[in-house]
Amino acid sequence: MTLSVVSKEYQNLQKEIIRHQEQWKQMIDRETIKPHLDQAVMATGVPAVALTTIDFNISLFLQWVDEIITILVKNNPELEQKLAGISSLLDEETAIRWIEEASSFHQAYFEKFAACHRLEQWIPSFLAETALRPYLQLTAEMVQPEIHHAVPGAGCPVCGEPVRLASLEEDGKKVIPCPRCLAHWQAKRLECSHCGNDDHKKLQYLTIEGDAVSQIQVCDECHGYMKIIDTRQYITKPSAALLDLNSIHLDFVAQEHGYRAVGEKIGRC
Amino acid sequence: MTKYVKYVDVTKCDGCRACMVACKNWNDLPAEHTDFLGSAQSHPKVTADTWNVLQYIEHENGKGDLEYLFRHSSCFHCTEAACEKVCPEDAISHTKFGTVVIDQDKCVGCGYCVQNCPFEVISLKEYKDKNGKTYRKSQKCTMCTDRIEEGLQPACVTTCHTGAMEFGEKEAMIKKAEQRVKEIKDRYPNARVYNPQGVGGTHTIYVLAEKPSVYGLPENPKVPTSAILWKDYAQPIGKAMIGATTMAVVGAFVTNKFFSKRAEKAEQEDGGESHE
Repeated sequence: MTLSVVSKEYQNLQKEIIRHQEQWKQMIDRETIKPHLDQAVMATGVPAVALTTIDFNISLFLQWVDEIITILVKNNPELEQKLAGISSLLDEETAIRWIEEASSFHQAYFEKFAACHRLEQWIPSFLAETALRPYLQLTAEMVQPEIHHAVPGAGCPVCGEPVRLASLEEDGKKVIPCPRCLAHWQAKRLECSHCGNDDHKKLQYLTIEGDAVSQIQVCDECHGYMKIIDTRQYITKPSAALLDLNSIHLDFVAQEHGYRAVGEKIGRC
Repeated sequence: MTKYVKYVDVTKCDGCRACMVACKNWNDLPAEHTDFLGSAQSHPKVTADTWNVLQYIEHENGKGDLEYLFRHSSCFHCTEAACEKVCPEDAISHTKFGTVVIDQDKCVGCGYCVQNCPFEVISLKEYKDKNGKTYRKSQKCTMCTDRIEEGLQPACVTTCHTGAMEFGEKEAMIKKAEQRVKEIKDRYPNARVYNPQGVGGTHTIYVLAEKPSVYGLPENPKVPTSAILWKDYAQPIGKAMIGATTMAVVGAFVTNKFFSKRAEKAEQEDGGESHE
């Protein structure tokens, strides 16, 4: 039995990065993160990170980018040439821009940056996102007591990441973990997290033969999908980021069936 | 490598038999027709197609009250496994997790493991190939080793709704069992942890409410001396003997070649004629 289509080498690389992110998170001064949560604003779908003042330590951010490059090269020496010289492109101003653009999912900026500096397209956004996550994760950790639910369609209530993964936990509770900032909140078993549809006749489940732990909830209202993993079956519950990575085959299956990671109600203005 | 243990607290079991169904389902085991046993118990004991059986035991306790005792019974995955020791084909082995598994390709169906298991949890299954030839293979619970390899708990554990079964690191599970015995001593004075040291401890440990014999378990199971003699002494000596014999044959061959070459050389030096 194989639970994931992702190679063990890539899984190990991701585990190493996650381990480092956890260590980096411990290096952040909690005083530099000041959440100003306004429940009325959050009820409209504004993520908590947009209501938080974060005083980023730029030299720490740059140090993490260097460490990520070291990890990548260690795992795949062929990347050394492709990643050489990136550190010299990153001055304080660029680092601040990277943080801002990564926070707001501005993919076009990173594509342009890569093109300007003749880098492979994935490199700048991957480095920026990976180095930003410790800040997002610490923010999520600090505001977690205030996070009880999410507004359908608004993504993660802390960082705004689109919702695509849920886990079944004790007593069959459906908990949605964010693979980006690791915030988590409870959701109704029979509800689409994209459009809020709770009509059981319009919610279906796709299952994969031989996969005993996962299923895909699909919504016929907005054509969005959600991967649901029964984490009660695990000896040690994997982190949300690993669950998301290891269940990537479910994304393919759902998308092959015509469902989307971000649901949209057809005919809506 | 982390060693895992399945913890079974029989005092929490309500006899629902979901563990039996989960096992059949995960391992694709066929249903069996069984006779009525006079109780809700479905099978007298584990078989080659039923790797775990829920025992229903009517027991009169010390106060003269009748109690129904339940026990999920399956392979114990002994640390010193008699089945492994007696297998002449090395078909039975321990995995890195501590579970005991049978290599179906190596098993010749001799039945030594069945006869020597102190818990009687291995059975032979008869198969017929397309030519009508029959052959036998040993079958037993694998502790869902294929699931453990993927970081999942055994199927029986994940389905237990009362929390009577848990799966985790060995030390933590043993500690949990010892703590649980302390908690239930008032209600069950004979309660104990069943993790027999005669077989080096097991990878399925129980919190029993009564003496092991009440559940049909041996009080102090041991690996048969014959099994120890066979695996730990006779086989290594046998292998060493084979090694020594092989070395002697190779040595003789090399020596013969060497001496015959020297003899040939000496003969030539002494004026042996060339054929050219």
